[in-house]
Amino acid sequence: MTYLSFLKSELLAVFYRKQDTINALAFFLIVITLFPLGVNPSADFLEPAAGGIVWCAASLAILLSVESLFKEDFNDGSLEQLIASGLYLPITILIKLVIQWCAVIVPLLLLIPLFSQMLFLPWSIVHVLIFTLLLGSPALFLVGTIGAALTVSLKRGAVLVLLIILPFYLPVIIFATGAISAAQAGQDYSGQLAILGAISLLSLALSPGMSAVSIKASMN
Amino acid sequence: MAFESFSEFLAMGTHGPYVWSVYGITGVFLVGMVLQTLSAKKKQLKRLHSILVKDVSEREK
Amino acid sequence: MNWTWFHKFGSPKWFFQWADKWGKLIFYIGIALFLVGLVLGLGFAPEDYQQGNSVRIIYIHVPAAMLAQSCYLALGVAGIVFMVWQMKMAPIFMKAMAPIGAVMAFLALMSGAIWGKPTWGTWWVWDARLTSVLILFLMYLGIVAIQNSFDDTKLADKAAAIIAIIGLINLPIIKYSVEWWNSLHQPATFVIGEKPSMPSEMWVPLLFSVLGFYCIVTALVCWRMQTELLIRERRASWVKKEVTKHGV
Repeated sequence: MTYLSFLKSELLAVFYRKQDTINALAFFLIVITLFPLGVNPSADFLEPAAGGIVWCAASLAILLSVESLFKEDFNDGSLEQLIASGLYLPITILIKLVIQWCAVIVPLLLLIPLFSQMLFLPWSIVHVLIFTLLLGSPALFLVGTIGAALTVSLKRGAVLVLLIILPFYLPVIIFATGAISAAQAGQDYSGQLAILGAISLLSLALSPGMSAVSIKASMN
Repeated sequence: MAFESFSEFLAMGTHGPYVWSVYGITGVFLVGMVLQTLSAKKKQLKRLHSILVKDVSEREK
Repeated sequence: MNWTWFHKFGSPKWFFQWADKWGKLIFYIGIALFLVGLVLGLGFAPEDYQQGNSVRIIYIHVPAAMLAQSCYLALGVAGIVFMVWQMKMAPIFMKAMAPIGAVMAFLALMSGAIWGKPTWGTWWVWDARLTSVLILFLMYLGIVAIQNSFDDTKLADKAAAIIAIIGLINLPIIKYSVEWWNSLHQPATFVIGEKPSMPSEMWVPLLFSVLGFYCIVTALVCWRMQTELLIRERRASWVKKEVTKHGV
């Protein structure tokens, strides 16, 4: 196996598992629907809350989609093959992750203009929301992967992953929603975006290696 | 001494219930933690001891 | 520097005997310090000109909050020690420490909430300190959950160590982000537990109570580690010797 053939097989697998992407988006939509119905449908509430609602929904949807990242490979034994193949594990994990990110975030970004109108977010702010998602979501994927790698051998690991990983998501959510509310107040939001990028880069430096260690620990 | 009398000490101005409930709950948790820790250690020692005794008596047979 | 003491703590047998010898002493010293702090704090410290007698909650709230943070720091360091040097005692330490840290975080939250009622008029305020202790409490719950979710002890140890290391890296980021978030949403009028200049009648009892808490927690962790050692090393010959020595 080479990196290229691995990339090809992973792309094919994502293509065949279109349902996972659809599920993540549907989940996102449901969470967004909860807020107007559960709290208040008026624009007075939704407009300032829109950034927070989108980010809460996005972090839950991302974590749930990352949680199953290794499950299928673990069950059918291809994860074991991957470890034995001699490919550098952190890089293969990163490849998997980039593909998963494209499969979930790209359609999400395409639908964000629609969702943001449901939450009465002004058009002039939508691009800020997209920037925060572009810069912040890699961190969520990368940190979530460690949790997925640790719990891959557990039958019911989803709740555990939520419990151990969500606290680490809080800084990302805080700075992302901070950027959006700064933009809504007409202030400069580049600082918050820079911090989001920095958190993503830090996660990029640490997460693949830690995930690889976690997977190896789970395998024996 | 910050208080004139014992009843004043208990009343803590008007904040008696708050102060004493904090100290009470903390006390309960501390005592509970100590008891749980000690009993767990004792239980494990007892279990290992009974296994040991069983082993020895089986060997003597 | 001489590292033999460090290697000694890596030996289960040596640690067990050390804890037998010193555990009780540390515990009694802790109780004594704590009681002195309580008597001084409850009876002799002056009341606050703003908060009245409710300020006496500080002698629980601050030690618990400090312990909650130090325990997590210790968990993270133990996680690194375990992942880098594969030291056997590190996960045992983590297993003993995590629930205690969770209780400390809970005590800090509880005392903060009860303190908030007379000071702020509500049981809960999303103040930077209380919020970061709440997140710390959640992180403890995660570690305890992961320690208890695996049947395989080795995997549980590694998983807990990795999560503790990530937590250690995240702790300053979370603290900074929560403080920043707090400054956005409500300018702090005055912060619980922090005084620009604390009179010595206030900080001396606080010091006693903090040191007492530290000693009590140290003793508890030693005992819990002994229990964990008895479980994990039950087949070792030194455990059998210790068991016969202790009798029942």
